[in-house]
Amino acid sequence: MKIKKLTGMLYLALMLLIIASSLSGCGSKQAKDDVIKIGYVGALSGDTAVWGQAGLNGMKLTAKEINEKGGILGKKVEVIGLDGRGNPVDSVNAFNKLVDEEKVIAVIGTNFSSCNIAMAPIADQKKIPLIGTACSNPKVTVDENGKLHPYSFRIGFIDPFQGKVLATFATNKLKAKTAAVITDIGSDYSTGLTEYFIKQFEENGGKVLIKVDAHSGDNDFRAQLSKIAPLNPDVVLVPWIYKDVALIANQARELGIKATLLGGDGWDSKELLTMAGPALEGCYYTSQPSFANPVTKPYAEAYKKEFGINPETEALFGHDGLYWIKDALERAGKVDPAALKDALENTKDFKGLMGSITVDPATHNPTKPCSVYQIKSSQFEYVGDFTP
Amino acid sequence: MFVQQLVNGVSIGGIYALMATGYALIYSLLGFSNWAHGDVAMLGAYIGFLCVAAVKMPFWLSALTALLGAGAISIMNERLAYRRIRRNNAPTMFLMIAAMGLSVTFQNMVIVFLGPKFRTYPPVIPVKSISLGSIKIGVLDMFSMIIVIIAMMLLELLITKTKFGLAIRAASSNMITASLMGINIDFYITLVFLLAGSLAGAGGVLLGLKYTVYPQMGNVSLKAFIASVFGGLGSVRGAIVGAFLIGIMEVFVSGFITSGLRDLFTFGLLIAILLIKPSGLFGIDIQDKA
Repeated sequence: MKIKKLTGMLYLALMLLIIASSLSGCGSKQAKDDVIKIGYVGALSGDTAVWGQAGLNGMKLTAKEINEKGGILGKKVEVIGLDGRGNPVDSVNAFNKLVDEEKVIAVIGTNFSSCNIAMAPIADQKKIPLIGTACSNPKVTVDENGKLHPYSFRIGFIDPFQGKVLATFATNKLKAKTAAVITDIGSDYSTGLTEYFIKQFEENGGKVLIKVDAHSGDNDFRAQLSKIAPLNPDVVLVPWIYKDVALIANQARELGIKATLLGGDGWDSKELLTMAGPALEGCYYTSQPSFANPVTKPYAEAYKKEFGINPETEALFGHDGLYWIKDALERAGKVDPAALKDALENTKDFKGLMGSITVDPATHNPTKPCSVYQIKSSQFEYVGDFTP
Repeated sequence: MFVQQLVNGVSIGGIYALMATGYALIYSLLGFSNWAHGDVAMLGAYIGFLCVAAVKMPFWLSALTALLGAGAISIMNERLAYRRIRRNNAPTMFLMIAAMGLSVTFQNMVIVFLGPKFRTYPPVIPVKSISLGSIKIGVLDMFSMIIVIIAMMLLELLITKTKFGLAIRAASSNMITASLMGINIDFYITLVFLLAGSLAGAGGVLLGLKYTVYPQMGNVSLKAFIASVFGGLGSVRGAIVGAFLIGIMEVFVSGFITSGLRDLFTFGLLIAILLIKPSGLFGIDIQDKA
């Protein structure tokens, strides 16, 4: 009995404490009118903190630059970063805290699809625009039933989009007329890229001679590649992860396939170079635009000067995200989350360091350039940024 | 195209055969499926890889070390795990469970000590092929085919022509009687594990040369197991035939139908053989198979 009473009293005390603190919270953290607060959620601790820290640093550096040039609509920008630890629960908590306590008008982050899929419905509910960075799953901006999350955006492209860029790159730059595709039917990434590639390649007037299927982990792809070899296509699309790419490339060369192989960012690992050996010489893959592009040089220098370390690509996302918000707010003409959302949705040709973004209002996915790399004397060499 | 796919199939079947014979040898003697067999092959591949890449030994010496190393690990498995269970006269099911335990342990040990990364052998044998008309045969495939054929021939001679083979055949027929006839059973079992382990090691090195080396690569031994069931569990000759047939069938299904159905055919074949001729193509003595 006694214990029960005690716990009851403790509860009451706790409740009072909570009410008191929330009241005082309202009082002290009134949003000031002359400051625009933008939030950032990312992994600021843990094993993926390199990216989270880079994103936040990138935004802070950019905010400084914007403020020195007069801010947005005459107001100063303030960036507030909270730790989402790279997991959905902490990211949602961070998002809530940014909106409820810090009164931000928009949030940038994260680079993880799982975190943004969890935050997207809450952004809709609180009517605060959320701009994902490198998260590439289609469900970040569109829910499972194909319904748009009106307040969810992203700066990076979705995976299959690379197929489109690769197709146009093949027809325009490589002058390819015929193509073959080998697809991992167990992976959304691979089937998505394949679908976009075939559609665009045929639209560009090319001919896809054959599409063969295989599974990751098969290790032996010669049965499928033997079907491609006699057709002698100009290019072969290999939208796989690097470990399979190395096997496919070697086996393709062994069977006498001389075509240029093309792939997406699944190739993007230094391991590929040692694993594939000379089999991939002269082949191309696409990736998110990065610091390889010379236009990013001044920003990279400024970043190094400010923080004393080399910037990660996530810093570019922070930069472009913040400038994109500035651009949208100036088009909207007022500081208001709903107006900002409309302006973001109608973005056409916003020019950032990662290329120009045009948003598809139906899916909120951007159309933007991909960086193309070529493998040359066992090195990745930046070729340029290309649009579909 | 047909001939090219046949070449592809034979080259895959050859590696299955190296693994399947090891299965069959141990099964014929102890009557259980040694699930750790594929992981012995994996360890062999790693030993060879480390010798070539880290110690910078010449390839032939590395391969030899891998063979002996895998053989030694195989003997160690028998000494540490299986022998005790055999002495207790426990059901063969216990041996199988012990083998599964070893398999999980080996895979995770490699992940802990060497990491989960995919590795490739340095280019010992160039990625080149010889063209015969429109048919391409990889140099590496020919090399591994020669190794497979030599290994199979030696094994056949060993089993049919030597005292060692006679002892194994006697022991697999009836262990107690063989032991009463003066055959040192433990000694011969150790030798069989050495032999099976070395064959697995050879398979592992060839797999590593052709594809990649990684902790789960031993799982390919599931195919070798199906091959040895197909050929008749316990029959070495059956295992070889089964391995080539499965390799060729897999390539034909992926090449002419679709690779999505490949495993369906393989496992369908397993079910069919168990229903129609449970002893397999070359199997004998239905009572003992489980």
